[in-house]
Amino acid sequence: MTRRHEISIDSTDYPDYLRNISEPPRVLYCMGDPALLVPGLAVIGSRKATPYGLSATRVFAGWAASQGITIISGAAIGCDQEAHRSALAADGPTVAVMGCGADIDYPSGAADLLAEIREVGAVISEVPWGTGPQRWLFPRRNRLIAGLCQAVLVVEASLPSGTFNTADHALDYSKQVLAVPGSIFAPECRGSNRLLVQGATPITDVTELGDALGVNVDTQLHLAAASEHPLLAALLVNPMRPDDAARELALHIVEVSRLLGRYESCGLLSRYPDGRYGPCVSMRQALQSPHGDRSQ
Amino acid sequence: MIARGTARVHTATVVGTHAVPVTVEVDVGPGLPSFIVVGLGDAAVLESRDRVRAALRASGYTFPSARVVVNLAPAPLRKHGTGFDLPIAAAILAATAQVPGRAVAGHLVGELSLDGRVRAVPGVLAHALVAREASRPLLLAQESTRNASVVNDLEVCGLTDLSQLRVTGLSGASPVEPPEWTGGEPDRTLPDLSEVAGHEVAKRALEIAAAGGHNILFVGPPGSGKTMLASRLGPLLPPLTPAERLEVAVIHDVAGLDPQHALSGRRPYRAPHHSCSLGGLVGGGSPLRPGEISLAHTGVLFLDELPEFGPAALQALRQPMEDGYISLVRADGHIRFPARFALIASANPCPCGYHGDSAHPCECNQTQIRRYRTRIGGPLMDRIDIRLRVDRVDPGIIVSSHRSESSEAVRLRVLAARERAMACGRGPSSGLRGKELLHACRLDDKAREQLTAQARSLHLSGRSVTRLLRVGRTIADLDGSDRVTPEILDEAVSYRGSEV
Repeated sequence: MTRRHEISIDSTDYPDYLRNISEPPRVLYCMGDPALLVPGLAVIGSRKATPYGLSATRVFAGWAASQGITIISGAAIGCDQEAHRSALAADGPTVAVMGCGADIDYPSGAADLLAEIREVGAVISEVPWGTGPQRWLFPRRNRLIAGLCQAVLVVEASLPSGTFNTADHALDYSKQVLAVPGSIFAPECRGSNRLLVQGATPITDVTELGDALGVNVDTQLHLAAASEHPLLAALLVNPMRPDDAARELALHIVEVSRLLGRYESCGLLSRYPDGRYGPCVSMRQALQSPHGDRSQ
Repeated sequence: MIARGTARVHTATVVGTHAVPVTVEVDVGPGLPSFIVVGLGDAAVLESRDRVRAALRASGYTFPSARVVVNLAPAPLRKHGTGFDLPIAAAILAATAQVPGRAVAGHLVGELSLDGRVRAVPGVLAHALVAREASRPLLLAQESTRNASVVNDLEVCGLTDLSQLRVTGLSGASPVEPPEWTGGEPDRTLPDLSEVAGHEVAKRALEIAAAGGHNILFVGPPGSGKTMLASRLGPLLPPLTPAERLEVAVIHDVAGLDPQHALSGRRPYRAPHHSCSLGGLVGGGSPLRPGEISLAHTGVLFLDELPEFGPAALQALRQPMEDGYISLVRADGHIRFPARFALIASANPCPCGYHGDSAHPCECNQTQIRRYRTRIGGPLMDRIDIRLRVDRVDPGIIVSSHRSESSEAVRLRVLAARERAMACGRGPSSGLRGKELLHACRLDDKAREQLTAQARSLHLSGRSVTRLLRVGRTIADLDGSDRVTPEILDEAVSYRGSEV
């Protein structure tokens, strides 16, 4: 049985920076380790995450967690859960902020994940034990995520969305807002790109994330992909359908199919649900491993 | 005074796709005038009494004023349809010596109208095969002779009117010459690939499917051209062989469709709507009639909006897709219909249809999408080798004057690939499995190594690997390669498609 904590606003355990937000919760209900409630990195994104969003989440949340930064998110389907998983995979600290009671498994598919977070991280909520998920609680939950962190990293957000709403709260509380740029054609990235226009810090690799968070990055990842084939270079920049790629690059469709099959097999590209091919999460690893070198 | 006596005439009743010989025995004997038909005839057979009586009078014969008993032997077999009118009438005429016995010595089938004209009935090809088996000439409605005469070694005579029996008898009815085969000519009226703008990957997939007999699933938003692409698979397939033509024509004929389409060598293309009942899809009814899957035998079955079909209908497809036939069991016996078809299916990516669309937002939540995708079911998906995402083509490409390859050019490659497979003693690669498949692929060490790496990195199951190899074998046939090379495996992987 995981320890349950009820931290009142008068307690010395109560996180200081939560006192500064609008309507700070009188009592914080916490399952897991309350010592993890230190300013961390909130990684948030769309429920309907694209492979691009999930990949970016994995790269950035995984890296930050490996540097000992607490990854804060909302345990929702999509980017949120990916952020928690990446942190756990990197043996890093992670905190899930719930829109229901901290002891409720919601969404139901995340029961295993939440159990693991309660074990090694912390699951917190401002509503009492046993409160079921309710629509109006989730926007309020977003202000807690924004309040608890040092910086918010928006991986993917459409417009309007809960993710965008969290970023708004973070601006209100003068937190740092970071955003991963997305394709200008993708509706899933409209919110995150809007944040960039409004002045959020763009994050395109872990060095930049490290700079933004004040962490030194000792490893610089190099993308050698562009030297492979013009098709790969083109798709890494702008995901396209095979038909369009063949036309743009004046290649025969059979050749394109074969190249795509090869790059997908060795993890350089992945197929998106809409049929386009684009960058994939394991791309970096693939480029570094000997298996990825298949440019025969 | 009408002579009294007995007579027997040969005919048949259709069970499934076969005709079973039936003898019509007539006894005209003493007693109160009556007309009885015994021998398990259905309502249509019993009603023939009134048609026969009227037709005899209208053709200038006399209906015997005696006790007329008609027996349809073998008595335990259920008999269906109106084809018994002509044999019953002929037997009565022979029994009363109004026509000579030799005039009705053949195999007779046909419906009578009240004025004595002879009408066509479905299933004449099945009758023709039985008549040939028994070496009897076939006597039937003039309008059916065109279909029946395609059966070799069979004398076919057409009747327009019952009165012709008296005047000329069987020997005088006009024998029909079998027509010359002209099949195999490409039909200019069929949809052509050159009319499809864009969709290069889908066209290549159609070529592979046609060459290897693979099943395809197209997934895409409404208006992306799934139906248009599906209708172009049929013309890519090689023409039916003479044996196949007759087999398909018999099925179409017993179902009441025009068999000429199949007889001309064109492969059937069936596209039942998703409201189709289970019986309509796989066969059913009383008497048992072939369903859409049997009407698509040797051809293409297009199931538009696959997830909208009833779960029972989808699951019922599994056995025929595996075995090439469907066995139906009913109270009065079991019947096997052939059903070897290429399935081409289309599906929306989600209930609203717009998941992954670049222009239109999707209104479904993740649960709805997941539920929608599980409707097709794993076992059916396992039998679909090629799965492809198709999307709306940019209007700029549609209106551009660029014409792509014609169906004829693709068909020649398909033919060559099929011939190559035949030359190696293989059928279409969609039928290969297990050891036979591995042997046919002749993977070298490099290809084997790559296949292992691909299976690992893409998390391919054993079944996925089988599908991959089948598609790979077909691509190799199209390439003229006797091995499945690493490059071919790369291409095959890209048709693995999304799980819908």
